[in-house]
Amino acid sequence: MTATTAAADREHDRDLGATRAFLVRAVVLTVVVAAFMSLGNVNIGAIGQGLGYALAGVTVFLTFRVLGFVDLTVDGAFPIGGAVCAVLITQGQSPEVAIVVAFIAGALTGMATALIDIIFKIEGLLASIIVITAAYTVTLHIMGGRSNVPLLGEETLISRHSKQFRSWLVEQFGDQMRRQSTNLLEIGLFLIIVIVVLIALYWFLRTELGLAIRATGKNPQMVRATGLNHNMMIIIGLMVANGLTGVAGSLVVQQFGFADVSLGFGLIVRGLAAVIIGEVLLRPRSVGQLLIAAVTGMLVFDISRAWIFSALDLPTTDIQFVSALVVLAALGTPKLYDRWKTYRQRHSG
Amino acid sequence: MLSMDHVSVTFNAGTPNEVRALQDISLSVAEGEFITVIGSNGAGKSTLFNVISGAVHPDRGHIHLDGQDITFWPEFRRSHDIGRVFQDPRLGTCPGLTIRENLSLAAIHGRSAGFRRDVKKSEEAWFVEQLQQEQLGLERRLDADVALLSGGQRQAITLAMATLTEPKLLLLDEHTAALDPNAAEQVVALTQQLAASQSLSVVMITHSMQQACDLGDRVIMMNRGQIVFEIAGAERQDLRPADLIDRFHSLDSAAELSDRQLLG
Repeated sequence: MTATTAAADREHDRDLGATRAFLVRAVVLTVVVAAFMSLGNVNIGAIGQGLGYALAGVTVFLTFRVLGFVDLTVDGAFPIGGAVCAVLITQGQSPEVAIVVAFIAGALTGMATALIDIIFKIEGLLASIIVITAAYTVTLHIMGGRSNVPLLGEETLISRHSKQFRSWLVEQFGDQMRRQSTNLLEIGLFLIIVIVVLIALYWFLRTELGLAIRATGKNPQMVRATGLNHNMMIIIGLMVANGLTGVAGSLVVQQFGFADVSLGFGLIVRGLAAVIIGEVLLRPRSVGQLLIAAVTGMLVFDISRAWIFSALDLPTTDIQFVSALVVLAALGTPKLYDRWKTYRQRHSG
Repeated sequence: MLSMDHVSVTFNAGTPNEVRALQDISLSVAEGEFITVIGSNGAGKSTLFNVISGAVHPDRGHIHLDGQDITFWPEFRRSHDIGRVFQDPRLGTCPGLTIRENLSLAAIHGRSAGFRRDVKKSEEAWFVEQLQQEQLGLERRLDADVALLSGGQRQAITLAMATLTEPKLLLLDEHTAALDPNAAEQVVALTQQLAASQSLSVVMITHSMQQACDLGDRVIMMNRGQIVFEIAGAERQDLRPADLIDRFHSLDSAAELSDRQLLG
């Protein structure tokens, strides 16, 4: 009896310790990244861009880690979300409406992948490649047959407040802030959106439905044995996950000032990198920590890439290659480190 | 309560790999009855369970539960009435979730998962009571990750989950085979206790002749997809493991004979 009570106490202590360690790591990481940025003379625009893409990282976390479903649909859901948003804004809809509809568009893309997986019993990897292929045409049709929709002069989330914000900033901090005003505004607005979405998602994952979705990824047999339709859990899970990528698409489109059919290219790799960077740097344990880690991972990815660009003074044509290198570093370093550790253990005694 | 009428299942029909896993099986389980099923590997015991639980649908025959035809119901739909515990302790519980979360999932049984909070304060007393019956002290570790538990503990949690919402029928698929003798004994005792307290119908597959003799009201032996004999009533009372092993051997020699005749 005392043994089990002690075990329960130990578990409690371990949980508290882990939460504290997580917070410490988060603070240390923030300081290191800030120092890194100021030393490398990295523009803070990288933070805004990382926040814009952050929800796509959360999507990959949900599909790969929570649902255990190898899903590449983000490459298709992202441009669809972006296209829907751009077209609605050019038609005079408010940016908020555009973002919500972009969520729905992304969710439908996710549903397509889930249905192909369930009805035709095609693995997620292949099902999502099929959806991405079709999504290209869908995106073009949404944009009225054009491959690009500019948002020049339209009212976006950012342009709506930019003038007001700039004059406020200059008034408060002086004229040297003028150049950074758009970047700061993006960071502020996107941070609020990302935080609101994360809170909603955290709430969702802690409902019965969320619990069933979390269990589906770990043990689908058990979910069936519990009387829940595990296929339904996969559908709902993929819809919520890819809906977030739709939102990310709509944010990035408003940030760039245009929607483009090729916007999602290579996004899955970027999302995977974000999830893994977050896990390696923050070692999250609870659901909430894992969500924060995915967002942090995306930020670190964008900042490191911007740093490499400014350090090596590369032209923008090299962007995908540098992305691939950063992803390779994120995926490969932990494995190399493990091998180095076992090598040392073997040769130290 | 449960009745199976002339149920047949054939895998890979029409190919050289055709397996007639169940051949014209008829079986009925009365309310509160405890049946043990024995038979060599490939006799069709697990297929029998898969058909009852809905993981496999039969080619022929019907299955009724309390008068309702459930033959082609999907697995998740009948799981409210039919609980199942597997041999592998990892199959019944969900690692990465806590004991409390696992039980909360089991508590959703019979309704759909909605937007209510996943773990509810109001359910805690219920879970504690259920786990207390098992006397393993797990009720004090509700927030422990299931992945940290031993095989015996995980199997105990699975049993608690399978009986939480009081199903009509409990299927036990060699659920003690992967456990050490001590844990196996504990889980068997738990099983008997839970079955008795809820007057559950239980069907249990076992490879232990001792268990087959000690537990339950009826023994069924399967071979090559058929039920070859049943022992119940007075005969069952005096049954010893040695008797069952003799019967096993007589089956083997009969099979050998027919093979020899065929080849000869």
